[in-house]
Amino acid sequence: MLDEQLTAFTIAPVWERALALLQAHPKREILIDASRLKRIDDTGIAFLYELRQETRAPGTGVIIRNLSPELSALVPDYPASELGTRPESPPSRPAIEQLGYVTRRKMRQIGNWLDFIADCARTLGPLSRRGNPIRWRETLDIAAEAGANAVPIVLLIGFLMGVIIAFEIALVAREFGAVIFVIDGVGIAMLRELGPLMTAILFAGRSGAAFAAQIGTQKVNEELDAIRTFGLDPIHFLVLPRLLAAALVVPLLTVFADVVGLFGGALVLIRFDIGLYQFYYRLLSVVELEDLFVGLLKAATFGLAIAAIGCRRGLTTGAGATAVGLSATGAVVTSIVCIVVLDGLFTILFDA
Amino acid sequence: MPLPESCPTATNPSGTRGPIVSVRGLAIGYGSQPILEDLWFDVERGEILVILGESGCGKSTLMKGMTGLQRPLSGDVLIDGESIVMADPATKARLQRGLGITYQSGALFGSLSVLENVRFPLDEFTRIGLRQRNLIARMLLHLVELGHAETMMPAELSGGMIKRAGIARAMALGADILMLDEPSAGLDPITAANLDRTILDLRRRLGFTFVVVTHELQSIFTIADRAIMLDAESRGIIAMGSPADLRDRSQDPRVRQFFNHRPDTPPA
Repeated sequence: MLDEQLTAFTIAPVWERALALLQAHPKREILIDASRLKRIDDTGIAFLYELRQETRAPGTGVIIRNLSPELSALVPDYPASELGTRPESPPSRPAIEQLGYVTRRKMRQIGNWLDFIADCARTLGPLSRRGNPIRWRETLDIAAEAGANAVPIVLLIGFLMGVIIAFEIALVAREFGAVIFVIDGVGIAMLRELGPLMTAILFAGRSGAAFAAQIGTQKVNEELDAIRTFGLDPIHFLVLPRLLAAALVVPLLTVFADVVGLFGGALVLIRFDIGLYQFYYRLLSVVELEDLFVGLLKAATFGLAIAAIGCRRGLTTGAGATAVGLSATGAVVTSIVCIVVLDGLFTILFDA
Repeated sequence: MPLPESCPTATNPSGTRGPIVSVRGLAIGYGSQPILEDLWFDVERGEILVILGESGCGKSTLMKGMTGLQRPLSGDVLIDGESIVMADPATKARLQRGLGITYQSGALFGSLSVLENVRFPLDEFTRIGLRQRNLIARMLLHLVELGHAETMMPAELSGGMIKRAGIARAMALGADILMLDEPSAGLDPITAANLDRTILDLRRRLGFTFVVVTHELQSIFTIADRAIMLDAESRGIIAMGSPADLRDRSQDPRVRQFFNHRPDTPPA
């Protein structure tokens, strides 16, 4: 016997009970009394539909009795096969064909990347060409947002990196009476490696993701199409200012990170009886200008790579809000991998 | 096209009449500035009421007030006799679950397929098994003629499909009232006409009450039993009645302009 109402909030136990009943008595006719039933919603309709569609052996069917004609009319009688679609499974390929397919897809991705880099270079090339100048105002706005606003976090992380590195090295060096050499380690590590690397990772998380999300949202909103139909080039209009801004601000942020990192190291070494003057003069004697320049060159390269990856991810965003999120996430992950790979190449080129 | 007095429906099988929504002296706006004030009207069970008016007159704001999404400056909205304005959070949530709402953009969740979107309210608020929830969602999609699109993502749908999927999702929890905010906005005439047909079909088959915000004349004449017209300048209702009555009998120049598709001053 069904209750007075079958609605979304009351139907779950009724449905479960009915299914259990059908399963428990496969060889008996099931009678369901609907004489009290007065109110159903879409869930109730689906329940009655499923009972009516139940296929059992002759003489063991489901009979719904005393269902009012008004409610009965609400229950559709189309076959269950009309409901929904089943996703088509992709055709299975032999392993060798699959390998070729994946290789071709990867080669195409690499080709698209090379096209993008070529487009950027082509746009960047004629810097002085009249009528198509660099959009310096946008470049400076982006530089301010991505650079100036990132200074506090870069200072904090740079300082802590200096403190941690100095402390960890000094603890070991003290055992050998070689605390003075900690200055060499902190100086070279901050200028050549940690300064640019940490700054770039922060920049990737903060601005690389933002570039991808901004341009991705513009793509979803068809703003990129509007830019193109105005006869403007999205690479020149959107990508180039970001590339230039990144190449400008990441080295500047790296200088900040270097300075506060060294300062943090110097503060730690006071605890190990090395004064600030001693730190300063030792630093000048062991660190060369080349260390600073290699670090800044790395930083500029990292900046260009992060901006390029962020912009490219934005330009290739699919449709919908989810695609924008995926682009931003992808930009950060690819940027960090790229930074580490580039750092390895720099190490081979300049340190080997 | 009013319903007969004893029309039985899925949501109201006994066919009893009486307002399902009552708007009582409502004033609503942003900050302390009212956009609309002193609104009084009822929505009868099983009727299709259209709220119309020029852009910016407060149609969507009124809809937000009626659904409890925006607190009015004063006045009250009763859903089946219960105030949604004064209700405690639990009662308000219960009352809102009885309202199926679709938004101008469709507001489908971009990370879920069409089937998952329609199933979402059932997943969140019921203990019905997954296979049964899928069946319910598929039947709702079949009802709005989207059976073929269940595996598609919202980004792959056309404007009309998004609106219809939104309607299917709004119906999932057995709402008594469907509130549609500009369902035909941005749709081509054929798709808009199909959507109107879906609305009429849903009312005929399942007896839903509809409150539809629109300014599409074709839609208004196709679906509306009754229309209320809002006006930005007077911040209130300037006309109420059947669309044909408003068009043919209203003496208000703003109403006549709206129905005759004429701007304030004809071009020289």
